[in-house]
Amino acid sequence: MKKYYVAIALAALATPMVTLNAQGGGRGAGRGGAQVANVPAPTSPVTGNAAAGKALYSTYGCYACHGYNGETGARAFVGRWGNLSTEQNFLTFLRGRANVAPLAPSTSMPSFSDSALSDKQAKDIYAYIRTFKSSAPELKDIPTLNAIVEAAKQDKK
Amino acid sequence: MAKSQKTSVGRRGFLRNAAAGAAAGAAALVTPPLVEAQGQGQGRGTGTAPAPTGVPAPTQAQIDRETGNVRPPSTVRTITRPGSDLMVQTIRDLGIEYVAANPGSSFEGLQESFINYGNPPNKMPEFITALHEESAVTMAHGYAKAEGKPMLALLHGTIGIQHGAMSVYQAYYDRVPVLMIAGNDPDFIAAHTAHDMAGMVRSYTKWDAEPKTIDEALVAIQRAYNEAITPPMGPTLVVLGSEIQKDNAPNTKIPAYKPPVFVTIDATRAREIAKGLLEAQNPRIAVGRLRTPEGVQRSVELAELVGASTSTAATGGPMSFPQRHHLCGPGADTTYDYTLGLETAGAQASITGPALAKTAATRDTVNIGFGGTVPGAGGRGGGGGRAGRGGAAAAPPIEADAEASLPLIIEEVKRQMTADQKTRIQARIAKHTSANHEARVTAITQAVESKRAGWNGTPISTARLYAELWPLIMNEDWCLSSPSNFSGGHHVQLWDHNKPYSYLGGQGAGGMGYGAPASVGAALAAKARNRIVINVQTDGDLNYSPGVLWTAVHHKLPMLTVMHNNRAWHQEYMFVEYMAGVRGRGDDRAHIGSTLRDPYLDYAKMAAGYGMAGEGPITDPSKLSAALKRGVAAAKRGEPYLIDVITQPR
Repeated sequence: MKKYYVAIALAALATPMVTLNAQGGGRGAGRGGAQVANVPAPTSPVTGNAAAGKALYSTYGCYACHGYNGETGARAFVGRWGNLSTEQNFLTFLRGRANVAPLAPSTSMPSFSDSALSDKQAKDIYAYIRTFKSSAPELKDIPTLNAIVEAAKQDKK
Repeated sequence: MAKSQKTSVGRRGFLRNAAAGAAAGAAALVTPPLVEAQGQGQGRGTGTAPAPTGVPAPTQAQIDRETGNVRPPSTVRTITRPGSDLMVQTIRDLGIEYVAANPGSSFEGLQESFINYGNPPNKMPEFITALHEESAVTMAHGYAKAEGKPMLALLHGTIGIQHGAMSVYQAYYDRVPVLMIAGNDPDFIAAHTAHDMAGMVRSYTKWDAEPKTIDEALVAIQRAYNEAITPPMGPTLVVLGSEIQKDNAPNTKIPAYKPPVFVTIDATRAREIAKGLLEAQNPRIAVGRLRTPEGVQRSVELAELVGASTSTAATGGPMSFPQRHHLCGPGADTTYDYTLGLETAGAQASITGPALAKTAATRDTVNIGFGGTVPGAGGRGGGGGRAGRGGAAAAPPIEADAEASLPLIIEEVKRQMTADQKTRIQARIAKHTSANHEARVTAITQAVESKRAGWNGTPISTARLYAELWPLIMNEDWCLSSPSNFSGGHHVQLWDHNKPYSYLGGQGAGGMGYGAPASVGAALAAKARNRIVINVQTDGDLNYSPGVLWTAVHHKLPMLTVMHNNRAWHQEYMFVEYMAGVRGRGDDRAHIGSTLRDPYLDYAKMAAGYGMAGEGPITDPSKLSAALKRGVAAAKRGEPYLIDVITQPR
């Protein structure tokens, strides 16, 4: 059994894919002390159907890690578009996810082969994702959060 | 003990029987005093016709007794002082505030004493009605984490123990003191008895006993309490036969209670540590999870005496250094030349209690080898994952109880401290105070910046949920009772954890079904202390033991439950998604078995069904704050309240 695990582990290391760490190790918005990302949304062409993509975004569980609006969860992407800069980049990214059997449960980004998710479906999802916009007001416009900071400032013991 | 004569036929015999005899019942009613309980069952084979199986049939009296048609004769035994009264008095003397139980006939003697014995009756401990033994034990788990001392869970023989088993395991893994008593009635239902009742949970309890006499029982209860609160703390179980609960004990005296002896560092080590702290230019104290609020107080006293900056585990669990104390934080200088670890690693000295593996080695006689509790059995190693945290290389652990060792160190510090050192320490404290305040303001400013992501999104972000709660409770005495590891843990950055019970931490062994009953236990602790309990309740977890909502209402507990309702066991959903992905099969079916949809559950209605006020589901973030305000107000009035909030998954 141990040999099997070692073999799998080595195969994982040798796989020319994005590493597991890179997929799952980052921090999403809303956690830690990171700034809310504010990279402008891409302007590249969109060919899919956003309405169809909305259903797929839910059915294929994209919301599980990215939130229903792409702003929350383990891997928020609104404001940090990265691999979502173009439709083609998105497709390449989807197909290039880890494809080795993990030794432990993982919440890393799944692989989406074209047999599991067609190019058309992927483009529809991309079209839907591109409709996302930040719902975060400026900090000055959120009294609750300002009150928290003010309370911390006052509380000097 | 003057053991009572056995009834001539027990209730087990009754169950085996199949028909009735009215004449036998009449005879029972005229049974003279001091004669054993003939009325509850005629002698085996007396006046009964054999059933087709050859088993004697039950009498009419037996049937009437079991169906509640008649009261048992009051004169069958003269009991002036039942053993169970003494047991309850022993428990009362130990300062046990509550006993939680789902009713079971094997402890009917005890239950009757709990509710009727004493003046006033049903106080210290008060009987708490649980709808499931798993709830009863986890209530005790949550209570102990909030108060640093045990309450009692009462379990029915065999079936009750097994119902509670998962909760026992969580408390064991969490090293939390829980006192348990199980009844054993060998004369009733055969399937509810066992010749080694505690054996079914022995591998994950710290200590157990099945005393045979009332005197032994009183000693065992005291011992079980002491074993539970002595590191490594854990659940303990005393099995009490139904007979010794009911036997007469007019002359039995409760033995004098002797508190346990905690292992401390020796005088030489105390001198060394005190010297190290006093001579250091920049000492630091890393505080892990101590046993009781008293330990927390002593850690504060030591830090203030030596002017050490401190780290805390208070954002991860109970009984650690107050987060907003002026010495808590990185301090003015982060180059520390002497670090003392209290139940955690320290670079120069680490005082940590014994590992769970030590107990497991002697208790796990059937070699189950639970991960993390037994060396080599997988998991996180022998320490249950708690000892040894910290950044710098740790000094070899000194196996002693940090809390009990603190007075020795404090005394040594006071003895050794020079006037010069005192002056230097005061100057250092002033610098630390200022630096820690700045560090906190900086940290919280950065945190709120990140929390605004998705602020106005629907469903509601978990960050907003925690953020909206904080201003409403920051000036209250509050306890966050629910684990936050599946809810974003936003309180860690936003809230101040200044009390030993501010945050009660995780489930123990990561098992679901913990949050709600642990919160009820924490609310029991809070009830008499003008404290409110906040339970950010994950939906998957609540469905294991929703009956505790009724318990909270019935006992008027100050508990606000805010649902983190993502309509899934979301962690598992993500796991399955990844697994489907790596196998190239797509994620469109990953919801099967890991989500709660078709239909969605309505938790406000669920709460209403249990008699709890509440509202929701709330999906509009602009409506959240007002709802939370209503909920906090209700909790402050001692009225539990539930708000169903549809949230982002995480």
